[in-house]
Amino acid sequence: MPARTFDVIVVGTGAGGATAMKILCEAGLSVCAINSGPRLEPAKHYQMHRHVFDLKYRGRGNPRRLEGKAHQEPYSVEESEYSEGQDLFEHDVAYSNSPGSDWYWKRCKATGGKANFWGRSSARFGDIDFKAADLDGFGENWPVDYAEISPWFSKAEKYMGVASTVQNRPSNPDGEYLPAMPWRCIDYIIQKGAEKIGVPYLPDRCAQLTVAHNGHPACHYCGNCSRGCDVGAFFSPTWFTIPEAEATKNLTLLTNALVRSVLVDEAGMAKGVAYVDRTSKREVQVYAKVVVLAASCVETAHIMLNSKSRHWPTGIANSSGQLGRNLCDHLYGSPGYGYLPQLLGQPATPDNIADSTVAWMPRWQNLKNPREEKFIRGYSVYMGGGCGGFPGHYSQIEGFGAEYKRNIKRYYPTPVGALIQAPTLPSATNYVDIDPEKKDIFGIPQLRFRFQWGQNELLMWEHSKQMMIDLFKAMGAEMWGADDEPNRPGTSLHETGVCRFGADAKTSVTNKWAQTHDVANLYICDASIFPNCTDKTTTMPLVAFAMRTCDHMLGNFSNGVHRRV
Amino acid sequence: MGGQGIERRDILRFIGIASLAGSFPGFSKWVFACAQDHVHAPVAANTQGTPGPYKPLFFSPQQYQLVEHLAEMIIPADDTPGAKGAGVAEFIDFMVANRVPVSTRREVRSTRDAIEIGNEAQNRFLSGLDWINARSKSEFGGEFMDCAAEQQKTLLEELAFKAKFKPTTESGREFFQFMRDYTVVGYYTTRIGLESLGYPGLRTVWPSMPSCSHPDDPEHIHLGEPGRRNAAAT
Repeated sequence: MPARTFDVIVVGTGAGGATAMKILCEAGLSVCAINSGPRLEPAKHYQMHRHVFDLKYRGRGNPRRLEGKAHQEPYSVEESEYSEGQDLFEHDVAYSNSPGSDWYWKRCKATGGKANFWGRSSARFGDIDFKAADLDGFGENWPVDYAEISPWFSKAEKYMGVASTVQNRPSNPDGEYLPAMPWRCIDYIIQKGAEKIGVPYLPDRCAQLTVAHNGHPACHYCGNCSRGCDVGAFFSPTWFTIPEAEATKNLTLLTNALVRSVLVDEAGMAKGVAYVDRTSKREVQVYAKVVVLAASCVETAHIMLNSKSRHWPTGIANSSGQLGRNLCDHLYGSPGYGYLPQLLGQPATPDNIADSTVAWMPRWQNLKNPREEKFIRGYSVYMGGGCGGFPGHYSQIEGFGAEYKRNIKRYYPTPVGALIQAPTLPSATNYVDIDPEKKDIFGIPQLRFRFQWGQNELLMWEHSKQMMIDLFKAMGAEMWGADDEPNRPGTSLHETGVCRFGADAKTSVTNKWAQTHDVANLYICDASIFPNCTDKTTTMPLVAFAMRTCDHMLGNFSNGVHRRV
Repeated sequence: MGGQGIERRDILRFIGIASLAGSFPGFSKWVFACAQDHVHAPVAANTQGTPGPYKPLFFSPQQYQLVEHLAEMIIPADDTPGAKGAGVAEFIDFMVANRVPVSTRREVRSTRDAIEIGNEAQNRFLSGLDWINARSKSEFGGEFMDCAAEQQKTLLEELAFKAKFKPTTESGREFFQFMRDYTVVGYYTTRIGLESLGYPGLRTVWPSMPSCSHPDDPEHIHLGEPGRRNAAAT
C-alpha cells in the first residue's frame, strides 16, 4: 500500500503536539498525528474514583506487574494501581544514564501524555526570564521578549482556563484568570508567617476550572487530578485539544506508533517519519510536507539525534551541535516539613480536595538586584499540608495504643511542608546523547542522560532550607525535618533545553518560531526549545509557544514557504 | 503513585510530608498511594473486617494470632473499631505473602528489587515475631500471648518509647516500628480507619472548595484545642 502524504505530521499528542494538531486541523490542513502508545479513554482507563480500600493492593500495586519489561522502574505519582494493567506508561523502551548520572525519566505513552496528569501550575514567563542574561550576565537571552509573547499567553490562558488573581509582581506577569481557589486554614497561617519574613505567599496560577469554561465543567473537587480528570475540569489534550482536532475530520491519529526518525529528501529537508508499529514490530513510513516534533522534550531530541543521513551526520538539524545539549530541569525536594500546633485537635477539613497548588511562594530572590543572593536568578516554593488521604505523620509520634490513635487524629489537620522548584542553569556537562551500544527492543538506539545538579541550584536548595527554618518559626510551627538531598533529576517532569531556540543558527537548534534553522519544514512544539526552565512550570508556556509556532507555520503555508499536498 | 511513594522513599525520612500528598503534584510522590482516594458514586459494601474464618496465606495460625493481637495493641478499638475490626491482620498477611513493599527504606527500580524487599519483609516478620516470644519468655517466663496484659504492655513500651529503651533490644525495637508501619498503613487504608480520622475525601462530590472558616484569625492562634482549653489556661 503506498503511503499517504499529509500536509503535516505531528509526532506526539501531549500538551504541545495536540495543541498543534488542533490548530492545524482547524486551519484545514490534513494532519497525521503519531502517538507512541495507545489511545487513552477516560471511561475505560481512569479508575480513580474508587477508594484505596477498593483496590486489591491498597494502591501499592502488584509488585510483579512490570516483570519481564525492558524498563521495570515504576513511575511514582502518575502511575499507580489505579492505572495498572492499562499500558499507559512506557516500560518497553529502556534508556540509559552515563556513569554518575541518575535521571528519572517518567514517560506516559498514551494519547495526551503527561498532560493527562499534570500539576496545573501555570505561571507566565516574563522578561525577567527572557532577558535574564542581560540582568546577571549568564548565558544568552531568549530570542523573544514579553511584549511579543504576552498575547500568546493570553490565548493559552483563555483556552485552558487558569484560576488566579492579579498580583503585580515583577517576576510573575499577571494574566487573564478565572476566580482563584479559596484558601484553606493552612494557607492563611502560612501567608501570615511568610509576610513576617518578607516572602510572598499568593494564589498560584492554577489551570483548574473553578467555574465552567468553554464548555468544560467546573471542578468537582474530588482530589484525584493527578490520576486524570474524569470530566475534563482542567486542561488536558484528552478533553480539550484532541477531540477538537478530531471534530474537524482532518485528523488521522495513529497509535502505538513509536517514531524512530525523521526522513529527509534529496535536499535534506523533512519528508516524513519512520515509526515502529508496536503491534507488528514492523517499520512504517509516512510522509508530509511539514513535520512537527512534540514528543516530550528529550524524546524529541532522541528522534532527531537518531535521524542521521548524509545531510545530517550527527542528527537532523544539528549543524549547531546543540541538539541534545543544555538539558535543564527543576531541582525538587522538601526543604522543610513539620506541623502547625495551632491546628492540633481541630476537626478535619477537606484540604486536599483541590489536589493542586492552591497557593505558592513565587520567586522573590534577586528581584531588586540580580546579584543580591549567592546564586543568580531564583526559585519558587509550593506549600502543602492539612488533612490528606493518609496520616503520614504517624511515625513522628511515639508509642502505641489508645493515646497513640488519639494523637494520630489530633495531629491530622496539622502537617505542613514545602517543595522547592529551583531551575538549573544550562551547563556544557548536562545533555542527552545516543547510547553508542544499547538498543531498545525495537532496535532503536537508546537515549542516554548525562546530568548533575550544579552549584547555583544547590545554593538555592541551601537557601530554601534556611528560609524554611525562618518560616516555621514565623508561623509558630514545629519542624520535623527536611530532605537531606534533592529528589533525583527528572522528578519534576520539567526538563527543557535540548533543542533550544535562538537568533543565532550557530548556537541554537531552532529560530524563535521553533522552526529548525537547518530544515525549514521541521518544527518543534514542546519544552525542548526553552533554553532554560525558569522558576515556573512549562505546560502553559509550551501551549502558548505551540500556538504561536503554528500561527507562523500557517503563514508559511499561505506565503508559499510550505506547499500543501 | 502506585505505592512507589512509599517504596521509593525512605518512609521515615519522608513521613512528615506524606500526609501532604495529593495537596499538590510535587508532594504526591512522597505520599502513600492512598493519599487522595474517595468515590463519586456509592461503592460496593466494604468487605474488610467482616467476621468469618480467615486462612492465613503466609503466617502460621499461631503467628497470625500474634500479629492480630499486636496490631490491636497498636491501634485498639475505642469510640471507633480498632485494627482487629478493620481487618489489619488480614492486610498484613496478604501484603507479606504477596511481597508487596509496605515499609522500606529502599527504592524499587526493578521487579527484582520489589521481590527482594518482599522477601526481606517475610524474614523480618518471622524473626521479629520470634524475637517478641523470646523476649517475653526471658522477661516473663512465657510466650507473648500467654503473658498478662500488663506484661505485654510493658514489653512493647520498652520497644516504643525512647525513655524506656533497654540495652540489646535494637532488633526488637526495629521490628516494633516495622510492625507499626504495617498496622498503621493497614488501618488507615480502610473505610473504618479513614472514618475514624474524619477524612473528608470519603465524601463524594464537593460543589465548591470549602474555605477556611476563621479568616478573621489568620494565624489561628485563638482557636484553642478542643477539650484542652482548661489545660491551656492553667
